[in-house]
Amino acid sequence: MGTYILRRLISAVAVMMVVGIFVFLLLRLAPGDPATMMAGDMATQQMIDGIREQLGLNEPLPTQFVHWALGVLSGNIGNSIFAGQPVLQLISQRVEPTISLSVLTTILSVAIGIVFGTFAAWRAGGFVDRTLTAFSALGYSVPVFVTSYFLVYAFAIKARWLPVQGYVSIDHGFGPWFVQLILPTVALSLSYIAFIARITRASMLEVLSEDYMRTAAAKGASTYSMLFHHALKNASAPILTAIGISLAYLIGGVVITETVFNIPGVGRLVVDAINNRDYPVIQGVLILVSGLYVLINLAVDLAYTLVDPRIRY
Amino acid sequence: MAGGNISNFDPYTTTSYTTVDHGLAIYDTLFALDSNLAPQPQMVGKWGISDDKTTYTFELRDGLGFHDGSPVTAADCVASIRRWFETSGGQLVKARAKDVSKKDDKTFTITLREPLELLVDQMAESVDYLLFVMREKDADRPPTEAVKTHFGSGPYKFNQDLFRPGARIVYDPNEKYVPRKEPPSGLAGGKIVRIDRVIKEAISEQTAVSALEAGEIDFVALPPANLLPVIESNSNLVLEDLHKSGDDYLLRMNWLHKPFDNVKARQAVLHLIDQEAFLRVINPDSRYNRPIISLFGANTPYTRDTSTGWYKKGGDSEKAKQLFREAGYSGEKVVILQPTDWLPGSNLAQLLAATLSKIGINAELAPSSWAGLSARRSKKNAVEDGGWNIYITSVSDLSCGYPLSSAWMSMNGEYYGWPKNDEYETLRAQWANVTFEERKTLASKMQQIWWDTASSVFLGQSIQPIARRKTLTGLISFPALLPLWNMQKS
Repeated sequence: MGTYILRRLISAVAVMMVVGIFVFLLLRLAPGDPATMMAGDMATQQMIDGIREQLGLNEPLPTQFVHWALGVLSGNIGNSIFAGQPVLQLISQRVEPTISLSVLTTILSVAIGIVFGTFAAWRAGGFVDRTLTAFSALGYSVPVFVTSYFLVYAFAIKARWLPVQGYVSIDHGFGPWFVQLILPTVALSLSYIAFIARITRASMLEVLSEDYMRTAAAKGASTYSMLFHHALKNASAPILTAIGISLAYLIGGVVITETVFNIPGVGRLVVDAINNRDYPVIQGVLILVSGLYVLINLAVDLAYTLVDPRIRY
Repeated sequence: MAGGNISNFDPYTTTSYTTVDHGLAIYDTLFALDSNLAPQPQMVGKWGISDDKTTYTFELRDGLGFHDGSPVTAADCVASIRRWFETSGGQLVKARAKDVSKKDDKTFTITLREPLELLVDQMAESVDYLLFVMREKDADRPPTEAVKTHFGSGPYKFNQDLFRPGARIVYDPNEKYVPRKEPPSGLAGGKIVRIDRVIKEAISEQTAVSALEAGEIDFVALPPANLLPVIESNSNLVLEDLHKSGDDYLLRMNWLHKPFDNVKARQAVLHLIDQEAFLRVINPDSRYNRPIISLFGANTPYTRDTSTGWYKKGGDSEKAKQLFREAGYSGEKVVILQPTDWLPGSNLAQLLAATLSKIGINAELAPSSWAGLSARRSKKNAVEDGGWNIYITSVSDLSCGYPLSSAWMSMNGEYYGWPKNDEYETLRAQWANVTFEERKTLASKMQQIWWDTASSVFLGQSIQPIARRKTLTGLISFPALLPLWNMQKS
């Protein structure tokens, strides 16, 4: 197991390096550069060229790459061209809202998705199941920003129960932090609830038709025990995979949700950086996110061993 | 307040309005334009001109100090003026200046090689690069190297601790600021801070309007056109034409390549454009739209209709077809750069392509981000080699009154599209040396050449109202810019 984890961690570094090289080249080959964005629309070409020289952007691509790679290897992923601050500092300023939103979304999605999917499988073809089918269709097809604006209109503007936008750090208390995140969490969770519930339902349907479930029923096991002790544990592997995939996709949803609800998180940081062609920030965030993806996959793989003792690495 | 996304804080390295607004908050200026766009002394207390009109002496008023506690001295002013010289805003004065030097801690002089009627006007000019006074050690940097500190001597201090790049900017009052005694007028007069703290948040426009309705914020600088009726219907909110001016949209054609190397083809576009139709794609509410028939904009002292007597509302496709024929157009591709991340520009480009296609022009859209467009528009290559024929941009109406500072008003073959006309440039060069009344005559002659050669074609002016809660009052009205002083919240 230890060797397996070590191997996966080494592969994470390799993945981050490949992502780094890919992102570096992609950004440099895309049209536009930070100098143009910095100078503004009315700037002359001479002004833009001066800024480009100042930023070292007129150096040959291999030279720029070597400078950047040496910095990364020494633990310095660079400074933002626009903010002038270290990229790691910028990310650390923005990471709390993103983690808060992601954790709450994951908890809500997993809790509701699994319960919903389990009951839908138990009463397949019944009201709960049909409701799940309708909800899944909605959850998949309605974009996050539409759900977000609907929730804002209903619960913030009309009912005045919750705030429209903004983020309050957990340092200011759990209550204000939680209230501020209710609408974004619900908006972001809907599609993940639908996804996890559908996978749970399909997996549970398969397990519920197994012989050992009929045996458990014949032995007089309660419905709760059958569903949550016997069936759900055996149906967990695909559900864990679904949760892992959901976490990986969450970063995309977070970008939109952070924009709509004005949450100053990492998602918005990277979108602004892309618009400004702030190369060090884009590269830094993407490298860290790629490493995070690998770690999430590793955690999911390790979780398999907890729910299914037959799996060993 | 919504509108806190500033990517560059140094007003000497960019012409972005949001950066200039930041500059107005934390820096001060030697002179400033009042609400009539006339220059008034701001940091300067007394000033005078020598008899031969070549030496200007300026004395700073008392009580000026930077936010780091150091006093503002003549040395800071001299360094700032030299930095300004390196921008397009200071080029004219730089070309005439023989010397800029400090006399004592409060006094400095500008000595000219020959008299320059526009010197003080240029020092007060608010179109692109304003002459903000920085600390000498900041101003000594070249304008291609952005200043990363935020120590000015203006009415507000930048709150570094609460600053979140790309998300939030916070300004606190500068308690030590000594305002002028005159009442506030435009960017001039007394800059009195009546607010405890200004927080500018980078909020998407849609969310900003929702937050305004809910009372979470007090001001939205750019409410989207489709939400203006929502704001108007809310009795707690006010829509206001604060800037008393708008953005002038124009399309620039590439004079280097076919078909627009031929004046007839450019004139064809001039006749083809129906400004009212084009403005509708920016804002369907005609109350916020205004056609432009003058090089000097819709509302500047030099606005005139010379050479536009034929103009009714454009949209003359038969005339356009005839002119394209006379230009020898033979089906070559016309590439229109389309900025997909700038909605008005993107929509205008699509309408333009459709309008040209209707009269048989082989129009093709080249979609990209604005960054991509900016990179491509600087290429002089032929269209087949990555060049272009048309791109759309916008300028503030105020800039139309400053032909020397506004690079887009030049015809010296140096600005994108590379229009060239020596006669026009000779007239433009005279602008700095003549009186206000004489400039009006000059403007008519320049206008005629610009319009006859169809250097660029205006698509009209769109007024951008601001939205605020009724409880926020006292906002200063000035074209394009948003000073933060004088406003108050009840």
